[in-house]
Amino acid sequence: MSQPRNEVVGGRRPYRRSMTGWWRRDPFFVRYMIREATALVVAAYSIVLLAGVLSLAQGEAAWNAWLAAMRSPISIALNLLMLVGMIYHSYSWFEIMPKTMPAMFVGGKRVTAATITMFGLVAAVAAALALFAAAWVLRP
Amino acid sequence: MLEVFKADVVIVGAGGAGLRAAIAVADADPSLTVALVSKVYPMRSHTVAAEGGAAAVTQPHDSLEHHFNDTVTGGDWLCEQDVVEYFVAHAHEEMVQMEHWGCPWSRRDDGHANVRAFGGMKIERTWFAADKTGFHMLHTLFQTSIKYPSIKRFDEHFGVDLVVEDGRAQGVVTIEIATGEFRLIQARAVIIATGGAGRVFRENTNGGIVTGDGMALAYRHGVPLRDMEFMQYHPTCMPRTGLLFTEACRGEGGFLVNKDGYRYLQDYGLGPAEPSPRNKAMELGPRDRLSQAFWHEKKKGRTIDGPLGSVVHLDLRHLGERKLRERLPQIYELAEEFLGVDPARTPIPVVPAAHYTMGGILADGKTAAPLAGLYSVGECSSVGIHGANRLGSNSLTELIVFGKVAGVEAASFARNVTNSNADVLKRQADAACERALGIVTRQGGAERLAVLRNEMAKSMESGCGIYRTGTDMQATCAKIDELKARYRDLHVDDHSRVWNTEWLLAIELGYLLDVAQAIVYSALNRKESRGSHQRLDGFEQRDDANFLKHSLATYAGAAAPRISLSDVKITKSMPGTRAYGAAGEKAEAQRKLQGAAHG
Amino acid sequence: MAEAGKTIEIEVLRYRPEQDAAPVTQSYRVPFTDDMSVLQGLQYIKDHLDGTLSFRWSCRMAICGSCGMMIDGRPKLSCKTFLREFHPGKLRIEALAHFPIERDLVAGVDDFLVKLESIKPYLIPKEPRRLDEGEYLQTPHELERYEQFSSCINCMLCYAACPQYGLDSKFTGPGVLALLHRYNADSRDGGRDERMQLVNAEEGVWSCTAVGYCSEVCPKAVDPANAVNQNKVNSAKDYFLRFLRPRGARNGASK
Repeated sequence: MSQPRNEVVGGRRPYRRSMTGWWRRDPFFVRYMIREATALVVAAYSIVLLAGVLSLAQGEAAWNAWLAAMRSPISIALNLLMLVGMIYHSYSWFEIMPKTMPAMFVGGKRVTAATITMFGLVAAVAAALALFAAAWVLRP
Repeated sequence: MLEVFKADVVIVGAGGAGLRAAIAVADADPSLTVALVSKVYPMRSHTVAAEGGAAAVTQPHDSLEHHFNDTVTGGDWLCEQDVVEYFVAHAHEEMVQMEHWGCPWSRRDDGHANVRAFGGMKIERTWFAADKTGFHMLHTLFQTSIKYPSIKRFDEHFGVDLVVEDGRAQGVVTIEIATGEFRLIQARAVIIATGGAGRVFRENTNGGIVTGDGMALAYRHGVPLRDMEFMQYHPTCMPRTGLLFTEACRGEGGFLVNKDGYRYLQDYGLGPAEPSPRNKAMELGPRDRLSQAFWHEKKKGRTIDGPLGSVVHLDLRHLGERKLRERLPQIYELAEEFLGVDPARTPIPVVPAAHYTMGGILADGKTAAPLAGLYSVGECSSVGIHGANRLGSNSLTELIVFGKVAGVEAASFARNVTNSNADVLKRQADAACERALGIVTRQGGAERLAVLRNEMAKSMESGCGIYRTGTDMQATCAKIDELKARYRDLHVDDHSRVWNTEWLLAIELGYLLDVAQAIVYSALNRKESRGSHQRLDGFEQRDDANFLKHSLATYAGAAAPRISLSDVKITKSMPGTRAYGAAGEKAEAQRKLQGAAHG
Repeated sequence: MAEAGKTIEIEVLRYRPEQDAAPVTQSYRVPFTDDMSVLQGLQYIKDHLDGTLSFRWSCRMAICGSCGMMIDGRPKLSCKTFLREFHPGKLRIEALAHFPIERDLVAGVDDFLVKLESIKPYLIPKEPRRLDEGEYLQTPHELERYEQFSSCINCMLCYAACPQYGLDSKFTGPGVLALLHRYNADSRDGGRDERMQLVNAEEGVWSCTAVGYCSEVCPKAVDPANAVNQNKVNSAKDYFLRFLRPRGARNGASK
């Protein structure tokens, strides 16, 4: 059996290279780090929404104050940025989703990763549109 | 400082044969320690590159007799027929054993293992795992070997000598490549499974590691190398690199065409040409005949000339992309990535290249060498089943049928002997270390490794090619003799010990030169044409009266090897004509009639 | 050999432990033709320019897995990467990332072998079967379920691609976990329970953060990322079902 060579014999002197700055070494890793960072965007947005729910619980005055804050130019700009982050987050989520699933077969043929991703994206867009439609119909 | 490891059995080479032997020893007697030595990690062994499949009688309308006849005929009657009988009888159980160990054999719809047609085989009997059979067999064997605690692996340990004492093989001296330090592995039985020697030639299908190491080691200790002149040229290889396009391409229905798009094999006794593959005909003829046909086409100026040299075309277009990607995925990838050719739309340029060493270390039907305690198995050994020409898919089967035999025999031998005095063995080992060290410590020298190697390869290609003449072979004999002398003045750049691969290449060159010498002198001595040894200088015919014999090359140090002849064991099949295609079917029908007449 | 004129500069990260304190770069100018691989370039250097350059190689056809190295910062097989892709620029080569350098382009890969041996990478049959009973039956569809994962050539490009392995080598890693999955997914195998412990461990699937680069670089389309990540679901199921079903009640053949 193989033994981990903890003790180094003879003239061997294995050289261990540093992992500092590893993610900057390859565009693939940079994209990965951006993907992971967008989780923070999702967290940030949930906090904003949570603040809104709490304000609602505290009565009309608090609720209006929160709405006013949301309407400020800075807030709108931030929201747009967060939206971009969330869209990339959703896209990269569906991009990696096929990796989490066992092979699927439809009519004897293997369903490709690209197909699964596409279905996911389409479903996400459809759900968003449905939500907008509902919000529009129910608008005060 | 020489480290010593005491084992019961030591196996040099961890390819298909070595791994199967190790498992066999472990199964036969778990109390025996098996040292498995390999100069590369086991999964790098060249078994990994074999593609087409492993033959075993499977279908109800097939028979051991058919497989026996195909093999003996394919070998041009130079096979040890009793050994062939054992081989064909034990093939199927070994395939099943591999399957039980997890080998992912390709299947029929009903779940049974599938078999396909292969060159020179009368009935489909080649088991296959996509077009990566060797890969899957090797990985299955390696992963299965992990189950056995009695197998101790010495990965990346390079064998530099055998230890022979009291007329018995008693161990192997190795270099631990990672440190450059020496390690003696003492044992009571030694199995050599180090593979072939195709790297003596220029264009070859072999990996860099196929350098005849074990053959040379046994040879230098007085064990004859048998039938070395028989070198198989695989007919369909990538030009320049020599990389292999499996015979299965032809088994699935591929055509070989010349510059006129003509299926030229029908001109060489392999016809008539039919649209679908017919066993033992046309593209499914034996490899020696196909390679020889290429040579003739080239002489006639009917090959296609281009930037890759003179080639013929392997036309797979009519199989369609879907079938190609399913049955021959690796071939597809090779053609696309290395040649930029899409086989579904363009024919693939191919040439014959050196592929397999039929000959090797003299071994009896139980893989034992004349030297007690020494066994050899796989491509490095001549156990007697391939004769003058090997049929495709017989060698993967050989690894496991005789791998098991070698393991069982070695285990049995080891149980009944004890090692000689350890100090005596160590002194021998020390001497071997000195010799090996001499290569890396030497200063000066006028000869460069690559120059010597290329001169050898070029000379072997011209003297021991598909067709041979006495004049060319003489020239190659002289050349190899000269190279062996010049080798003594070798210059090395690298004098380090840690991972010094130039040192190892230098030792390998020594092995290659010794094996090359055995090949060419054996070839010169065989004054006939048989199987893959074909001559153009008045010896164009087979001469059973004088040469229905094996060649034996015996080492003579710096001098030329001594070539002698030995008898061939014939039991059931008397030498006849090797007929394929329509002529073959006629001959077969005649044989049946005669058989019926004799009742 | 080489046709008229074309050369390429190859910059190699050298390391000779007996004389170098740390790795140093060394440049070579190599004549080449369009069909030459990086491996052939390295062989040219060793044969004609500098015999002291050490690197692993064997089959030249991307099946033995020996020749993995970092080529212009990406893990690749040198036998299947072509010099023409980098010309006229410079080509940088170093040993496979995330492994220690033993010498020049030779990485120390013992850790991979240890891990491979740790997962019971062999068939543990669901049911016993004698040799004379012939092969287990397995349909082409059942074969398809694991065949892709059985194609791993152990080249370790995925380990060089995996930052988690690079940051903490305790992680079992993509290739070995793909092999583990190969056996679990084989219809003949009944050893899933025995292998679960390794799957569930911190150094099993849970060290993976689905970077996915391993599958990108795999030369044999094994898709180790898929093997690892679909087993996260299996691992979670196993964890929760443990409370419903006592261990050992299932018919898992033991070693």
